[in-house]
Amino acid sequence: MLVRVQNLVKRYGDVLALDHFNLEVGEGEILGLLGPNGSGKTTTINCILSLLKYDKGAIEVFGKPMAPDAYESKRNIGVVMQNVAVFQELRVEENIDYFCGMYVNDAKARRRLVDEAIEFVGLGEFRRFYPKKLSGGLLRRLNIACGIAHKPKLIFMDEPTVAVDPQSRNKILEGIRELNRQGATVVYTSHYMEEVEQLCTRIVIMDKGKTLATGTKDELKAMINDGETVTVELYALQPDHVANIRQLPHVARAEYADNRLAVHFDGGQHNLLTLLDYLKSRDLSFGRVFSEQPTLNDVFLEITGRQLRD
Amino acid sequence: MFMHIFGYRLKCLARDREMVFWTLIFPLILATMFHFAFDQLMGRQETFRPIRAAVVGSDAYRQNVAFRQALDALSRPGEGQLIELTVTDDREARRLLEDGAVSGVITVGDPIGLTVSQSGIEQSILKAILDEYAHTYATITGILEEHPTDPAGLLREIGQRRSYTQQISFSSAEPDTILNVFYVLIAMTCLYGGFLGLRNTTDVQADLSPQGARRSVAPTHKLGVVLYDLAAALTISLAEVTVLLAYLVLVLRVNFGNQVWYVLLTCLAGCIAGVSFGAFIGTFARKSEGVKTAILSASSMTMSFLAGLMIVNMKDIIARKAPFLSYINPAALIADAFYSLYVFASHRRFFLNIGLLLLISAAMCTLSFLRLRRDRYASL
Repeated sequence: MLVRVQNLVKRYGDVLALDHFNLEVGEGEILGLLGPNGSGKTTTINCILSLLKYDKGAIEVFGKPMAPDAYESKRNIGVVMQNVAVFQELRVEENIDYFCGMYVNDAKARRRLVDEAIEFVGLGEFRRFYPKKLSGGLLRRLNIACGIAHKPKLIFMDEPTVAVDPQSRNKILEGIRELNRQGATVVYTSHYMEEVEQLCTRIVIMDKGKTLATGTKDELKAMINDGETVTVELYALQPDHVANIRQLPHVARAEYADNRLAVHFDGGQHNLLTLLDYLKSRDLSFGRVFSEQPTLNDVFLEITGRQLRD
Repeated sequence: MFMHIFGYRLKCLARDREMVFWTLIFPLILATMFHFAFDQLMGRQETFRPIRAAVVGSDAYRQNVAFRQALDALSRPGEGQLIELTVTDDREARRLLEDGAVSGVITVGDPIGLTVSQSGIEQSILKAILDEYAHTYATITGILEEHPTDPAGLLREIGQRRSYTQQISFSSAEPDTILNVFYVLIAMTCLYGGFLGLRNTTDVQADLSPQGARRSVAPTHKLGVVLYDLAAALTISLAEVTVLLAYLVLVLRVNFGNQVWYVLLTCLAGCIAGVSFGAFIGTFARKSEGVKTAILSASSMTMSFLAGLMIVNMKDIIARKAPFLSYINPAALIADAFYSLYVFASHRRFFLNIGLLLLISAAMCTLSFLRLRRDRYASL
């Protein structure tokens, strides 16, 4: 394990931010920490990085206890902060060189690493720019470059895509995958479930400082009863039809409102065909049809009774 | 590692335009304004011109030997000449007075008379001279009437003015209170170096800035980063103070004496005090950056005010009313170090000022380091 967190307790005054939190990160993973704002994701990262004091628990990184003076471990860690952490007075390439230089002494090697980082985040044409001249998305890319230029083995990324345009977001996500392909282990926090679903090989859902569920996205979705949800546009559907639909195989629930029929299945196969066959057999004309697989939000909803974005 | 962090810190601080304005441009503007404001006072040579007076050359005047000798002594050309005397007749004397050629007309009689056409300083001085003579004359006459033993000897003694104090020059320079304003201006600039120290502490603490957080997770010893940053801030501050000093000396012709190395030593000690002061405020004032900047700005200005930046004789007032303040006020210590270099031949007072400055700086630095060495924070 690259990171092992055991029974971590962190309080901010009377507020319990981490409640006996446990976490393990294996080599080569992209681990997603998913949870709503205030769930303890950033606090977890900051405790692991020895930035924050904690009340109880143990943290190991690269098999050694993590401490502010654990320089050998720190040398192999990269951090992409939630807030953009660059100096406004330094140009793009100078910022990357500055932070890279805190890890790599050799100037020649550093020059190569800086060039690679600039190319990696696609800031080649902006290397002489000052940060204030960059757009929000480009600034985030610079923030990432500053955190990963020294080629760390373990990278912590704390909400790196907040307030980023879709183009930059895709670029960033693709970059993270590439880093992982190159051998880096990534711990990725976000409250965007789509990103986590897309990116992470394993996901930890947390809320109120606790782990709610852990697994791959398929494992997490398998934890809940919901299967797919089929929505059909229908006009003037009679209640007895709704009752009949509820009797179809694997139908968990069916609701009709605002000329839309929503049917939730709890498993099974070819559910969409079964439903459409029923509608055709009753000569019920219908409009558009949508089929949705369960999301991590459904998982969160199932476990907590709340939406992930609450 | 030192050169890497130091070099980039220099770039950061030197490219911070707002910082450069307050720590360099603003003092240069103030210096120029002070120069124009005090230009006349500094440039004017206050030489005393003898007061022109006429005395009516009557018989009474010719017979009053003592008075005549007194007037001769006062109108003798040289450093001590008080009056420029014209002996003439009554009519001519009045014409001279009406034309403004003389400030007063002296008529010898009982009592001795003074005629003036207007009131003013010169007329007051003439009156004071005559009053003094009349008073002394009356006193001596009284003594002679009561003790007529050795009138000639007494008159000789009275006629001689003796000084019982000796004037000793500490250096070739004449004390000039206006100069203190420029010395305090340099002191203020040194203290404004505190803005550099303040920014350093913000950029190194994880709970104050994301840059601080990023630097805290790097495998670099925190005390090392603090010291390298401090060295960069000190370099920038010293460079700015040197530019100001060069401007004052070469352009505005402010006299700092000729002890260049001691002057530079004072600048260095002042910059150390300023940067340490900023680091101290940045570390211990648990407020927002804006509030810290306001605290630093207000306290620097207050210290400069107490050292005499706005009121020329404030330094003397503090020295008399609250002397302790002069020993703990870095601005007063810096200004007094410059002043003592300029005025005194001995370096005793200079080194006392420098020693106190360095002592205060060491105390602030130590306290700041103790606080900054904290590795983990309660919250970010």
